Amino acid sequence: MRKKLISLTMAASMLIMALAGCGNGTQSISQQTGNAGSSSEEESDSESNTIEMADASEVSGTTISFWHSMGGVNGEAINTLVEKFNSENEYGITVDAQYQGEYDDAINKLKSAQIGNMGADLVQIYEIGTRFMMESGWIVPMQECVDQDEYDVSQIEPNLAAYYTIDNTLYSMPFNSSTPLMYYNKDMFEKAGITEIPDSLEEIAEIGQDLLDKGGAGEVISLGVYGWFFEQFIGKQGLNYANNGNGRDDLATAVEFDTNGAAKNLLEQWKNLSDLGFAPNVGRGGDAGLADFSSGKSAITLGSTASLKQILQDVNGKFEVGTAYFPKVKESDEGGVSIGGASLWALNNNDPKKLRATWEFVKFLISPESQAYWNAETGYFPVTVEAHEEEVFKQNIEQYPQFQTAIDQLHDSSPEYVGALLSVFPEARATVESEIENMLNGKKSVDEAVTDMAQSINKSIEEYNLLNME
Amino acid sequence: MNQKKAKSGRIEPYLYIVPSFILFAVFLFYPFFKTIYLSLYKTNKMGEAKLFVGLQNYIDLFQSSSFYNSLAVTLIFVVIVVTVSMLLGLITAVLCNRTFPGIRAFSTAYALPMAIASSSAAMIFQIMLHPTIGIINKLFGTDINWLNDPNTALICVAILTAWLNSGINFLYFSAGLSSIDETIYERASVDGANGVQKFFNLTLPGLSPIMFYTLVVNIIQAFQAFGQVKILTEGGPNDTTNLIVYSIYRDAFFNYRFGSAAAQSVILFLIVMVITLIMFRLEKRGVKY
Repeated sequence: MRKKLISLTMAASMLIMALAGCGNGTQSISQQTGNAGSSSEEESDSESNTIEMADASEVSGTTISFWHSMGGVNGEAINTLVEKFNSENEYGITVDAQYQGEYDDAINKLKSAQIGNMGADLVQIYEIGTRFMMESGWIVPMQECVDQDEYDVSQIEPNLAAYYTIDNTLYSMPFNSSTPLMYYNKDMFEKAGITEIPDSLEEIAEIGQDLLDKGGAGEVISLGVYGWFFEQFIGKQGLNYANNGNGRDDLATAVEFDTNGAAKNLLEQWKNLSDLGFAPNVGRGGDAGLADFSSGKSAITLGSTASLKQILQDVNGKFEVGTAYFPKVKESDEGGVSIGGASLWALNNNDPKKLRATWEFVKFLISPESQAYWNAETGYFPVTVEAHEEEVFKQNIEQYPQFQTAIDQLHDSSPEYVGALLSVFPEARATVESEIENMLNGKKSVDEAVTDMAQSINKSIEEYNLLNME
Repeated sequence: MNQKKAKSGRIEPYLYIVPSFILFAVFLFYPFFKTIYLSLYKTNKMGEAKLFVGLQNYIDLFQSSSFYNSLAVTLIFVVIVVTVSMLLGLITAVLCNRTFPGIRAFSTAYALPMAIASSSAAMIFQIMLHPTIGIINKLFGTDINWLNDPNTALICVAILTAWLNSGINFLYFSAGLSSIDETIYERASVDGANGVQKFFNLTLPGLSPIMFYTLVVNIIQAFQAFGQVKILTEGGPNDTTNLIVYSIYRDAFFNYRFGSAAAQSVILFLIVMVITLIMFRLEKRGVKY
């Protein structure tokens, strides 16, 4: 009898554990659903009513909270800036900076918090969350602060502002922006006798054999399977990712990269590189290819401008690192790169004082002095053009002349290749990445991969629009 | 008088369980029923139930090849993890069942995985398994892209999980071993039994109750592995490591399809429940108390 009892208790505890396992994910969901209906609708109406900022003289003693997603070195840089603002600002504003985890985590936390109106005053959101934030009804477009304060927007780097400007309204303030670059091993190129740096995947395929045979490279290009690169390659062809003007004229209802040939062109070249053994699958994500490059195995890699410092540190003088523009797909392509990274969004808490305090803090963050420091510490672009005149910036570019390539590339790129806005971007990126993997592993042909990508993303877009736009 | 006592006696026991029942209700029953409710809806980006679709979420799942893939991958994963982690735990526990100098160092080492967070262990493995700079390829002189090759990725994640789980198994088995009466070994020695015979005829049967408990816990734990997958492979390559728990996370917090995620949760719950019930049926035959 006792034994039976023991086993029964065990059975019960097992089941409960299983239950708890399933329950974990749902708790936060139910929290969200519990009282979501109440706030979101009303707030989207109030968005059209302009919120007046209080005067700068009235904000003394105001505390604002600032959510960011910068960990490590970047997080330290942000904290330094915040401390500086807190001790130096003449308005008596205190900023409470809180690290909220990676971009994905932060946006999820914001969702739960906003339902109870417990979010922050200023949040840093990644570029692919732009469409979501615009439609959320929680925000005060940056443009309103700019207008009320008569701030001169022309100081802001136009190609950065363009990404976050929709219908001539600057929705959020660009803060940490980067573009992708091509990094190459100058020593290998020299040994292989290649003087002309390739600027397309096609050309990389042509010189690949030389790099392996004469240059001593272990692999030609360590090309991470990364959705952002895919988007950039489409932009470099001058083609659209999604319809309705890349989702900027109006809400995108379908992708366009399948019908305009952009994805096919790219994947054919990518597959060619892979078939030739030049571009093995190094894994997913923007950093996946960096280790192979830094360790001196691959001759070329693609990576964010913000990785420059890391790469130079890892290479540590073993060879000379060259930087060039992000490659085109075919030599004949004409297009440009768009930015990635994150921007700052002011949340509407119906508090004129807080809004003013937030705006003053944003102005401090994008001031030439702060931006020069930010750029030197992190490798993200200075948001304001005048930062280029700062001593800190000049010293930094002297130390890392490779960064000039990034700035030139940004300036050379026309704002028309500003990139797409898509509400389901995080999912779309993941879809693109797994279909590219399928293609590289030989499970699917180029055409199948492109069709499946488009089909799956279109289905998500359709469902999203059905459920969220009425 | 007598009657009254009997009546209060009927209510009293229930009062005792009220506190724990409230806890269960808030943290288990409510989310559980909410999950079932959500699984019948399509949700908007805020996770609000928006459109009643009945069983459509389930039908979609059973028509999607990626869901079957998730199930298959999860089963393979569970089998590898449970086998390896129980074997590791058992072997280490038997080895540490004697006293010899330095035993404390050994038993600490074997129990240590218990204290390591799965995510940090995953980060370490990620570096060790890196194709270019990783120590594994250097040691074995191989050139395998462990985590990006569809043939090896799942095994790597499973071995890591097995190692992590082996710590607690070591502890369970050690406790089980110390509860076996020493004198039966002496008697067996007198009867001329060798080490192998003693292990299979005395140690294993003596361990069977704890073994059964460990098995069930391990299976449930293996079904819920998450951190390793998120850090090491994010479900790739080709969805070969897209375990069902990871796929739930992805659908809920990445794709914002809480309905489909909830439906998968319910199915996972049913699977674990059925397995647990089957195990308790079998227990009656295999386990000797």
